[in-house]
Amino acid sequence: MNKLHILVLEDDKLAQKVMAAQLAAHSVEVAGDLPTALKKIAGGAYDMGFFDLMLGPDDDYSGLKAIAAAAARGLYCVVVSSSDSDEIIDRAYELGARDFYAKGNEESNVADILRKFIQNRKAAGAADIFTSAFITCDPETRAAAGEALKYAPTELPIMILGPSGTGKTSLAKILHEHSGRDGAFVSINCSAYTEDLLEAELFGHKKGAFTGAAEARKGRLLEAHRGTLFLDEIGTMSLTMQMKLLKAIEERSFYPLGSEKPERSDFRIISATLEDPQDLIARGKMRFDLFQRVHGYTINIKPLSRRACDVAPLLQHFTKNGRRLSFTQEAKAYMEAYSWPGNVRELKKFTDLLSSGVEGRVDLETVQRHLKGRPAETAACAGDDGLYAYALAHGLEAALDKVSGDLITRSLRENGGRRTKTMADLKISTRLLYATLKRLGLDGEGEHK
Amino acid sequence: MNGKDNSKLLHDLRSKCASLKSAAELYKDCSPAEKKEMLALMNAAAADIARLLAQLGQP
Repeated sequence: MNKLHILVLEDDKLAQKVMAAQLAAHSVEVAGDLPTALKKIAGGAYDMGFFDLMLGPDDDYSGLKAIAAAAARGLYCVVVSSSDSDEIIDRAYELGARDFYAKGNEESNVADILRKFIQNRKAAGAADIFTSAFITCDPETRAAAGEALKYAPTELPIMILGPSGTGKTSLAKILHEHSGRDGAFVSINCSAYTEDLLEAELFGHKKGAFTGAAEARKGRLLEAHRGTLFLDEIGTMSLTMQMKLLKAIEERSFYPLGSEKPERSDFRIISATLEDPQDLIARGKMRFDLFQRVHGYTINIKPLSRRACDVAPLLQHFTKNGRRLSFTQEAKAYMEAYSWPGNVRELKKFTDLLSSGVEGRVDLETVQRHLKGRPAETAACAGDDGLYAYALAHGLEAALDKVSGDLITRSLRENGGRRTKTMADLKISTRLLYATLKRLGLDGEGEHK
Repeated sequence: MNGKDNSKLLHDLRSKCASLKSAAELYKDCSPAEKKEMLALMNAAAADIARLLAQLGQP
């Protein structure tokens, strides 16, 4: 069952006790008067609130003011009151209440309200996520993301694998939003910092801890208390930093730079890497014990070129609040067959270019001009005649080598250089992979040396 | 006592009675320590109800 963060506004001590008992499985905060409730609403992150309306013998339905404030913050507001005139019920719903119950049947009513709320939220989350937050209509990607969402409300660490620009950060944020954790989503790209800076960024520092530390600063680990720490490109972290992070994860405490006082933080880890973690471990770039700590559930996001059905919905999503675009059939076909090496990020940039610089309907020539210099997969298949001519000119063995080389480099590119994934996808041996790379003069990621 | 005051009294009365009813339903499942606390609150609510009834009966 999902643990909810619930606010109860109720002035009567006995009614407070009754509500607290009915909501015992959840995290409940009780406000006995309007100012306390407004303060809690402004500073808290509640899923829902139960509101009494008359707060004291001479009160004039001041609970309604709390409903307005809570609804504006997105809380699911439920009125539990003895004031059940039509006028008051109408007013409460106008202000944003979602349910209205008369006091006196809390045992059955509260359980029903919670069950309905949790079911609705789950249904809404699953249905909307792929059309509003993580755009995809690819069945495999939907299934993988849907499976990952099941683990969102758990403490299990999640590792997201996928090439650059596929939406790993967006997915991590969605997982946090579905986690029920009331702390913040704190993201850090490990590749953007040197070892020293990363340590200061993660653990924080005291004033004067190092040259340039003019002020004390809270680290990301502490910022993520009761929330989620998203470690992007975790594979780029030095082994020393990995060891320090592992200790902080295991002990849930750490020392900010220059401090002798440990800090405690209850954070949940979501990590991402565009490289194959097993490969990183094999190459000594990733500690096995850290990997064990951060890979509770693993989700693999496919590159955009392998979910061509997502190109159109993503385009629509990127332009929904701005200038809408229209493409000729040829332009659409070219985009769907294009390799999108920069994935969704490249598509977004491409959309921005078209939105601001192209008039009228977008044709094939315009699309090709903006995607110039990048290999369209159609070219690889262009095909059969060209390959036949190549075989006639260089021999069958050379032509077959060319085909295997093209397929392996494409797979490596789409898998972000992950060799074990490429070997699994193409069902080839390590020997064949390395022999092909050597023959073509390519590095481990399919790029020319 | 005017109609407005009466309606507030009746509201308080309904509210206290409802809480007392819900508390009575919960009481059997409470731990001994909770029962003690609950009983004190229920007694206070009952006293409030008696006071409200007395006020309601005043001309």
